[in-house]
Amino acid sequence: MLSSLRSGVLSTWRTSARALQTSSALQHDSLFVHRDTPEDNPNIPFEFSPANQKRVEALLAIYPEGHKRGAMIPLLDLAQRQNGGWLPISAMHKVAEVLNVPRMRVYEVATFYTMFIRRPIGKYHLQVCTTTPCWLRGSDAILKAIKDATGCEVGGNSACGKFSISEVECLGACVNAPMVQVNDDYYEDLTVDDAKEIVEKLKKDEKPKPGPRSGRFAAEPLGGLTSLTEEPTGPGYGLQDALKS
Amino acid sequence: MLRQPLTRAIALSSPSRVAPLGARRYADAVPAQPEKVEVFIDDKPVYVPPGTTVLQAAAQVGVEIPRFCYHERLAVAGNCRMCLVEVEKSPKPVAACAMPVMKGMRVKTDSDLTKKAREGVMEFLLVNHPLDCPICDQGGECDLQDQSMAFGSDKSRFTDIHFSGKRAVEDKDVGPLIKTIMTRCIHCTRCIRFASEVAGVDDFGTTGRGSDMQVGTYVEKMFLSELSGNIIDLCPVGALTSKPYSFAARPWETRRIDSVDVLDPLGSNIVVTTRTNEVLRILPRTNEEINEEWLSDKSRFACDGLKRQRLVTPMLADSRGNLTPVEWEDAIVAAARAIQDCPPDKLLAVAGDLADAESLVALKDLVNRLGSENVYTERDFPLEGSGTDLRSSYLLNTKIANVEDADFVLLIGTNVRFEAPLLNARIRKAFIHKETDVAVIGPKIDLTYDYLHVGDSASVVKDLATGSSSHEVLKRLDAAKRPIVILGADQLKTQEGSALLAYTQELALRLQDKLQDKNWKVLNVLQRSAGAVAALDLGYRPGVATALAAQPRVVFLLGADGGVVTREQLPKDAFVIYQGHHGDVGASIADVVFAGAAYTEKRATYVNAEGRAQQTLPAVSPPGRARDDWKIIRALSEVVGERLPYNNLDEVRDRLGQISPALVSYGEVQDNNYFAQARALSKSLQKPVSGTLDVQLKQLEDFFMTDPISRASPTMAKCVQAVIKQKSSVY
Amino acid sequence: MTTRQAIQVGTKTVKPLLSLNSVEARKRVLNLYKAWYRQVPHIVKDYDIPKSEEQCREKLKELFLKNKDVTDIRVVDMLVIKGQMELKETVKLWKQKGHIMSYFKPTEEPKPKDFLSKFFSGNE
Repeated sequence: MLSSLRSGVLSTWRTSARALQTSSALQHDSLFVHRDTPEDNPNIPFEFSPANQKRVEALLAIYPEGHKRGAMIPLLDLAQRQNGGWLPISAMHKVAEVLNVPRMRVYEVATFYTMFIRRPIGKYHLQVCTTTPCWLRGSDAILKAIKDATGCEVGGNSACGKFSISEVECLGACVNAPMVQVNDDYYEDLTVDDAKEIVEKLKKDEKPKPGPRSGRFAAEPLGGLTSLTEEPTGPGYGLQDALKS
Repeated sequence: MLRQPLTRAIALSSPSRVAPLGARRYADAVPAQPEKVEVFIDDKPVYVPPGTTVLQAAAQVGVEIPRFCYHERLAVAGNCRMCLVEVEKSPKPVAACAMPVMKGMRVKTDSDLTKKAREGVMEFLLVNHPLDCPICDQGGECDLQDQSMAFGSDKSRFTDIHFSGKRAVEDKDVGPLIKTIMTRCIHCTRCIRFASEVAGVDDFGTTGRGSDMQVGTYVEKMFLSELSGNIIDLCPVGALTSKPYSFAARPWETRRIDSVDVLDPLGSNIVVTTRTNEVLRILPRTNEEINEEWLSDKSRFACDGLKRQRLVTPMLADSRGNLTPVEWEDAIVAAARAIQDCPPDKLLAVAGDLADAESLVALKDLVNRLGSENVYTERDFPLEGSGTDLRSSYLLNTKIANVEDADFVLLIGTNVRFEAPLLNARIRKAFIHKETDVAVIGPKIDLTYDYLHVGDSASVVKDLATGSSSHEVLKRLDAAKRPIVILGADQLKTQEGSALLAYTQELALRLQDKLQDKNWKVLNVLQRSAGAVAALDLGYRPGVATALAAQPRVVFLLGADGGVVTREQLPKDAFVIYQGHHGDVGASIADVVFAGAAYTEKRATYVNAEGRAQQTLPAVSPPGRARDDWKIIRALSEVVGERLPYNNLDEVRDRLGQISPALVSYGEVQDNNYFAQARALSKSLQKPVSGTLDVQLKQLEDFFMTDPISRASPTMAKCVQAVIKQKSSVY
Repeated sequence: MTTRQAIQVGTKTVKPLLSLNSVEARKRVLNLYKAWYRQVPHIVKDYDIPKSEEQCREKLKELFLKNKDVTDIRVVDMLVIKGQMELKETVKLWKQKGHIMSYFKPTEEPKPKDFLSKFFSGNE
């Protein structure tokens, strides 16, 4: 999203001050109205699988009678996982039916949260963080590498149908910038080569090892610990004598 | 500056959204009023009950706080932020519509901070609002226009047009009545709340988030409801405007005439907007006791039917039986000759649904003077027992506003939703805001709220009345403190009608006798048409079938378009006189046609289902050579040789008053009595019943075209098409 | 006092306007008629009205004959006085064309008063 914003800035500075007023380009990468497509229309049936049906019942049991609609987000998430990472309109209808709420109330929730994806999506959803810390650490190059390796544009699916790329805002892993989220896993401290390798492995349906690529365990300093190097002190450390029993 | 008058905000400022005290005779006398708290609005002290919002408290001292999303009859949303006011010792300005008052609160509605907050909110709203007022239908009656004049900044800082432009949102197709220009939407969510709370059709919502948020239906779905037009009035900007009225007129060019609607039995109060002798649109007029501030779609949009299919000149059948335009003199003389040649017992007068009290009384007087008693209504009603002698057996005795206070509603053979949409809105209001429960005897229909379905056979009513039913609804009825029973008048046309009415009376009065509240009325009969009550009050007899069997030679149809009288039933040489305003069923079988005036063209009395007399006022003149209805009959009487003793409207109304003072006490409704007598008289009629109860209007498509005006209306035809199209949609 | 006497007293006490008897009154009427008659060619010319002299004379005769049944001398005198005033206004051109033409305007029908006529004429 940010990169498209920047190109917008550059081009508009050059336009004449007298340019006619135009409508804004679509700001969000997904639509907030539904369009029937062959892949996503209400005639395609959706049912929870027997295993998920049990989960649905367990989820509903959490909420007291009269407040069952509280289970809406968990149910939508369950439906999305069952359906290969995206939420078709018939799944929303199913959730509305399960919860006995008007369909519009489900549409409202499903469109509000960006983690509900309402278009067919590849098996691997690569979410590239391009917010400032990642951007400073070279997320543009990572994004380009991923785009080249998958042959896929931001907001689109690859020709093989395996990949989808999104530019996302901060995913909270700034210490390990730049980073990419693939489905539920974080891949951090990436270089361009790492990104390519991850894509190659995914192409072979192998699961690359999640986590930092710099050899770090988590978010500790790269050159080893600079503090907290000794053993943690035990209980009662630094207590004045009078309080020691 | 606000469109809504301040008085209304005051009247509605009680925390619970129920009818104001004036209309609420049966409301629980609020026991031990909680101590009122003192708050200061601009240093003016005011005492309000706790729970009142700052905005309502301010309204009580006459301070208007600007608002977009807040509406007295809808839930508080608090999302437009226009009502921000400064409260002393509060770090930020607070939203007055959602902030309950606290003791000693000092609100400043005119301080610099408040002004700055309003200006800021207004600036943000205008950043994403198009500057298309010149082509916007809301122009001149737009809250955003008015409030930006009053509270907005005097200059614009909006220079962003080269970068991203203004927000643009695609328009939605929500049906043939409402035009959407969603770019103008300011996300007040009034339409969403109305659809969800009042109309009971949860089709609207917000999708997306942030600056991409849209108000809409997400999927391609039309907003089809019998109350959908009200969201046009609710929309504070031009996002939702009337499709039939689009680009027709500006509010300042039009004349507004207060009148009364006649397309359903409730007699909703309306404002007729006209220009150059043409009805442009119809808007609701607030009447807490009838329609609050809503109006059903048929009443609002059928007005284009007033320009089509009209009878504009008197007509006479020529030698080949074709109706040809003639002078009034010829038409009246022809009719008079036929009447003079007819023996009195072969003369029959039939009144239709839209007949006003003045023409009804004139016609009845004329027929009586000619020595005949054959004045009938098209609608049926049992004549056995007390028949139509006691007003209580054919009226909505509980009264519309009091329905809100009921705790149990039993509907017998009526689809209130389409027969009287605003009565249904009241029941829904009671269902949602109070613990009112509803039970239905009759076909399973969508009433927009949940109900207990007791069955669809008439014997259920009998079992309930005799107490022999084991259904739980009987226990609920017996336990209810304020039950009401509403019987649809449509059920009374069958053979079993009298027994059904008798059982309903028995049931209702048995319940009524046990009530603590002795003023509470349980029995209600919901009439189907605006003219029905006046006709029964004046002594018109229901059930034209028996009269037709007597082979009348001259039939006078006063707007009788129900198709009850057909040529096949009449003798070959029968002479049919039709008087009405539309070339509909009645005119097609007539030998003489008198062109009358429609309800927007005459000053006429209509009595609504509660028995409340109201008058319409002429907004436009009758088209062509059409005349006021009672005057035609008056002229005819003179030619016939039985001159009616009134020459002007006041004299006709004196005559109405002689028959029943209730017919001329405009705007008022009297309490009905003699329930016990009606019950006693109906005892003998309690015969076994076996039929099933069915209603005429089941689906939304049945609702739109029910009378000559709406049948002539292209908009109503489009509505029917839209509903049928929607049915084939998967959403 | 008998009725006859009463009438005599009444007529005696009436003050004459101009004429003392009907002969004198008749003379005054004829004089006025002649004066108008002689004026007709001048009226047609001066006022440039779309009427011929014959038509004007006919109208003059018609207007005089309209009052032929008046017998009261005082009324006749008053009519003569009014006629003279009209004549003077005409001669002195104090009138305008329309005033002259208004002698020729067709008779106005009275407006209907009762309900039925009003109804048929579209006024009700």
